[in-house]
Amino acid sequence: MKHLLPVSLRVNGEPYDLLIPPWRTLLEVLRENLSLTGAKRSCQEGQCGTCTVLIDRKPINSCLYLAVEAQDKEILTIEGLARSAEVLHPLQRAFAERGAIQCGFCTPGLILAAKAFLEENPNPSEDEIRRAVVGHLCRCTGYFQIIEAILAAAREMAGKGAQVGH
Amino acid sequence: MPRRARWPGREHRLAIETMQEHSIIGRPVPKKDAWLKATGEAKYADDHSLPGMLYGKLLRSPHPHARILHIDTSKAERLPGVRAVATGKDFPGIKYGNLPQTRDYLPLALEKVRYIGDEVAAVAAIDEDMAEEALDLIQVEYEILPAVFDPEEAMQPGAPQLHDHAPDNISSQSAFHFGDADRGFADSDLIQEDIFETQPVKQGMLEPHACIGLWDNTGKITLWASKQSPYVVWRQLAMGLGIEPGKIRLVQTYIGGGFSGGKQEAMPMDFCAVLLSKKSGRPVKFVHTMDEVLTIGHLRHPIKIWLKTGIKKDGTLLAQHCKIIANGGAYSSIGQLSMYIPGAMLNLPYRLPNVKYEAYRIYTNNGFCGAMRGHTLPQICFARDSQLDIIAAKLGVDPIEIRLKNAAQPGEVTPNGFRLTTFGFTECLQRVVEASQWREKHGKLPRYRGIGIGCGSLVSGARLMGHSSSTAEIKVQEDGTVLLVTGSTDVGQGADTVLSMIAAEVLGVQLDDVRFAMVDTDITPVDPGTFSSRVTFWTGNAVKLAAEDARRQLAEIAAQKLEANPEDLIFRDRQVYLRQQPQRGLSFGELVRLAEYRLGRIIMGKGSYTSGEELIDFRTGYGNMSPAYTPSACVVEVEVDPETGQVTVTGIWGAHDCGFPLNPMLVRGQVLGASVMCIGQALYENLIRTQGKVMNPSFRDYKMPLATDVPKLANVEHINIITRDPSGPFGAKEAGEGAATGVIAAVANAVYHATGVRIKSLPISPGKVLFGLKEMQGKGNKPANLVKG
Amino acid sequence: MGYLRRLPRFEYLAPRSVVAVCDALAEYPGEARLLAGGTDLILQMRRREVAPRYIIGLKGLSELAFIRPQENGGVTIGAMTTVRTIESSPLIRERYGLLCRTAAEMGSPEIRQSATIGGNLAGALPCADFPPALITLGAQVKLKSQQGERLLPLEEFFLGPEQTVVGPSDLVTEIQLPAPSPLSDGAYVKFHDRHAMDMTTTGVSAFVTLDQERRRFCDVKIALASSAPTPLRAKNAEAALRGQAFTEKAVEKAAALACQEAQPRSSWRASRDLRLELIKSLTKRAIRQAWEKAKAPPDGGRP
Ligand SMILES: Cc1cc2nc3c(=O)[nH]c(=O)nc-3n(C[C@H](O)[C@H](O)[C@H](O)COP(=O)(O)OP(=O)(O)OC[C@H]3O[C@@H](n4cnc5c(N)ncnc54)[C@H](O)[C@@H]3O)c2cc1C
Ligand code: FES
Ligand code: FES
Repeated sequence: MKHLLPVSLRVNGEPYDLLIPPWRTLLEVLRENLSLTGAKRSCQEGQCGTCTVLIDRKPINSCLYLAVEAQDKEILTIEGLARSAEVLHPLQRAFAERGAIQCGFCTPGLILAAKAFLEENPNPSEDEIRRAVVGHLCRCTGYFQIIEAILAAAREMAGKGAQVGH
Repeated sequence: MPRRARWPGREHRLAIETMQEHSIIGRPVPKKDAWLKATGEAKYADDHSLPGMLYGKLLRSPHPHARILHIDTSKAERLPGVRAVATGKDFPGIKYGNLPQTRDYLPLALEKVRYIGDEVAAVAAIDEDMAEEALDLIQVEYEILPAVFDPEEAMQPGAPQLHDHAPDNISSQSAFHFGDADRGFADSDLIQEDIFETQPVKQGMLEPHACIGLWDNTGKITLWASKQSPYVVWRQLAMGLGIEPGKIRLVQTYIGGGFSGGKQEAMPMDFCAVLLSKKSGRPVKFVHTMDEVLTIGHLRHPIKIWLKTGIKKDGTLLAQHCKIIANGGAYSSIGQLSMYIPGAMLNLPYRLPNVKYEAYRIYTNNGFCGAMRGHTLPQICFARDSQLDIIAAKLGVDPIEIRLKNAAQPGEVTPNGFRLTTFGFTECLQRVVEASQWREKHGKLPRYRGIGIGCGSLVSGARLMGHSSSTAEIKVQEDGTVLLVTGSTDVGQGADTVLSMIAAEVLGVQLDDVRFAMVDTDITPVDPGTFSSRVTFWTGNAVKLAAEDARRQLAEIAAQKLEANPEDLIFRDRQVYLRQQPQRGLSFGELVRLAEYRLGRIIMGKGSYTSGEELIDFRTGYGNMSPAYTPSACVVEVEVDPETGQVTVTGIWGAHDCGFPLNPMLVRGQVLGASVMCIGQALYENLIRTQGKVMNPSFRDYKMPLATDVPKLANVEHINIITRDPSGPFGAKEAGEGAATGVIAAVANAVYHATGVRIKSLPISPGKVLFGLKEMQGKGNKPANLVKG
Repeated sequence: MGYLRRLPRFEYLAPRSVVAVCDALAEYPGEARLLAGGTDLILQMRRREVAPRYIIGLKGLSELAFIRPQENGGVTIGAMTTVRTIESSPLIRERYGLLCRTAAEMGSPEIRQSATIGGNLAGALPCADFPPALITLGAQVKLKSQQGERLLPLEEFFLGPEQTVVGPSDLVTEIQLPAPSPLSDGAYVKFHDRHAMDMTTTGVSAFVTLDQERRRFCDVKIALASSAPTPLRAKNAEAALRGQAFTEKAVEKAAALACQEAQPRSSWRASRDLRLELIKSLTKRAIRQAWEKAKAPPDGGRP
């Protein structure tokens, strides 16, 4: 049995060349090999969305994704979202400013899912937002302030044109 | 009479109006750590690692009840990569727990296992894969014992016994009588009796339990852990390890949601992390998988509630008699308190002169129950407020009128000795009726749409057995910033922000100038932690006192410099100046440097807030449990699909008297979040156990509400009733739990109104509604919403 | 407990072509498992329900990720096409609104991004949503192995819960859909406790073709999820409607027949009685909705 496979990942724009066992999920490799702990480990079943990251700009549950299968793909985690420590993404700001973050465990996954969603649907209705985040549990907020934050970020991003964030 | 201003529910208006009075307090400012959390920088327990760290895993019992005959760990020990293995014999065999009467936990089982999931052994290996493999190699020989899962069966003579110290499996028992219930029933025109049942539900925090333990070779123990009550864990760890607490340092990490449960107590993983560290000489990390979290317990008690109420024709409540049997599971947790609360708070927020109460918490071979947000109140409020609607319908009175008629008022003392200082319940009802357009809707909605009300009440922290006091320290740094040190934790509820706001307000600095320290038992003062909605009130008062202490020290120095009276000084906007001559003053920074550099007076403020002498007597149930109580009223609108039985919550309007919302945005988040949690309990959540085995230990099947299960933003409103409690910090009372206690009853009442089906057992599942409707159609009954009243 | 573990060890193979996949399957008979989106298989491995020695990763197989119009007016969908791609394909939306709408209601955006149509069929969960919809659309499945190709109606594909005709050396390569007839459309109606994400308690797909006058059912197909060990065609219900005008009575009758044909079981998730009630309600709903959609002029009522 071949235990270790060479894998090249592009995470947040940085190239990483790794040697990993194929049974490692992307979530495990991000957290354990790259120390990118923004993606969280919770249900490990695709139910909660705390592990969501973007692969080629689309959201996936990294707990259900083999790291070897992310070879050569562009991965974005929450650590790579802000343009700089000073310039946060409008979604990050809206979440922080509008009470959408309590314990914050659901936040990284939700923000990334919302980012991918707003790229496809820059002017969403409240209902479309709800449906876009069904893969994310939040036990603290009851979702209302999260939906408000996504609506607010969408307005801001639409106002400023497409260049905001990444 | 407390001032009861009529505030519009809107946050910004409130902010504007309070701005004149306060510069920080009352503003909807974002949570202090929100930016750190939005960027993924906040480190939760599982995000930490230490050099050389090992990974631990726990072996759990596959049997609900069995004697452990022999444990063979030799194969596991020989597996390469395994560094240490532990069993119950490695611990001193001392039982630990919350209250002296409830100490029945062991770090790892010794003679017996009592539920499927009970911890029997632990391993530490170089990675998690290896640790899991090692568990497969541990051989445990069990003698299977008869098990009992139903509490009523467990109380019968001859039933399998779980604990030697608890005959008939009675884990805890309460019986109170206030007033004269028999007389009350005799004087009643109507007596209503019902049985209600609630289901096991789970905190459902997304962050699983996690910790890292280190036992260094000087004998010093450090535990980094996701704990909302670190000092409880600290004390329990010491107890179960048989060592002095002083040898233990507990460091809190960011906490991914708490809602009580295992983040409030020492768990087997905590003991094993430190013990395996001692054995291996390396730090050891444990993280539960979600199926472990859902299996081990700490559940909200499932309770069978028998409730009898006597009432006059005019709707005046005269007497209530309540008996409850709670399925406690295999261990006690905080069970004694869990049983006291429903009786002590059976009446609130209503006025009820005569109360009789009997409670039994029964050991069974199930995952154990403990505290969860609202503790046992959501259950009892579900029963009481459902029954109140049954009574209202029988008497032909409006559900709102019957509640207004019996609303407890400020200044009253309940029969068991609760002193209601401020209590804006009448106003809660009035405001929620307006906001929900109750009068336009009740009895007038189309078929299969319904509206219902539920009410509740909560404490602002409970006075519990001595160690209820909170302490705060304020260190004023030479750059004019402030370090706030308390023993309280932020679990996401906003303690970091609200406590900092109090400090900033008193010292006249900006919120950003205050740094909130996380708990480190080597540094922070001892504190009971986060539960029972106590932090804002108790620690908040301590912070206010500490900040006032620091301000007094600074004021003295400023007064000398400005040649003024210390009492005439104003601290605001980073300036210290004379009230009468605002141009005479100096900046806060200058003042601090003057004090610390020039005069060498290091400014440190200290404040403690304690419960006073009043303790509750668990046996008689008498005593004033909390310094302040909050009432709430909630209206829910539902739509029922008559062909599937599915209930959709389409609107929720709540009013809650939190005294004064120190940060209305955070209060709104607390209230709405707690309300949605109760929608989950009302409609979806149920930890299903068959012969003690959890059938759905997964978020796939343990169904918590999603964004698609909550009402549209336009149909959601929370109203703060302002009563400014004289003993709360800046008038504040509890805000994290109370507002949701009536939600389940509101849903049940709304479903009844929509369909005529009265559901008395939770959850209100599609099957119950559908078959209820069929039964009604069989009888030719009309939905209740077509019948006024 | 021990229910969710880290993944078991396996050797990972990533063949670059369908032929290479078939070769790999033939080389390790019974020891290899195909990994498509992984939304099912990864969980089964975590729970140690399966622990294959070899995992054959299909994600890189662009050869199987396609939606291709056929000359006969039908469409062929490659097995590795994701639910998300199906949901957002204009071609599918135009020709098979039923499939598009079914896809849009599955799981979460994250799940739909990974989950594939091939995995949904081959996984053969009784609660899977695609099978009923595809069966009513008259789908056929193509299997490939070193031995050659087979094409069979999807109805004959399922043998039991998580059991299909796919042998240890077979690969599902594509799903073929016949050209939709005019005046036809369908609806898939499913029920679960919450408003999203749950496993389907009961699902009913109805696909109807109307006569020229749009007054009668010319053809009807009904298939159920979570109502029997495999996706189930309700043939008696279909027959009862064929040639009939749309009346509440006819619909009621069809629903009652569907209940008779179904064999739902009681489990801790739902009782048999509840499932039967749901089959009745949802069958009626599905037929009504399908009728409305088929009746609507093209473009008029379709999303
Ligand atoms: C949170 C969550 C929500 C879900 N919601 C839904 C839902 O709403 N509706 C629904 O129907 N399902 C749902 N599912 C189940 C699952 O996502 C789907 O069944 C999905 O389509 C499976 O596809 P996959 O590509 O992920 O399959 P995989 O997990 O990769 O494979 C599943 C099985 O099929 C086999 N297989 C895969 N491809 C082939 C092939 N080409 N040839 C032969 N065998 C193959 C694999 O070996 C494996 O046995 C959900 C799952 C999760 C985790
Ligand atoms: S951890 Fe991946 S979805 Fe929950
Ligand atoms: S903020 Fe705690 S889970 Fe969402």
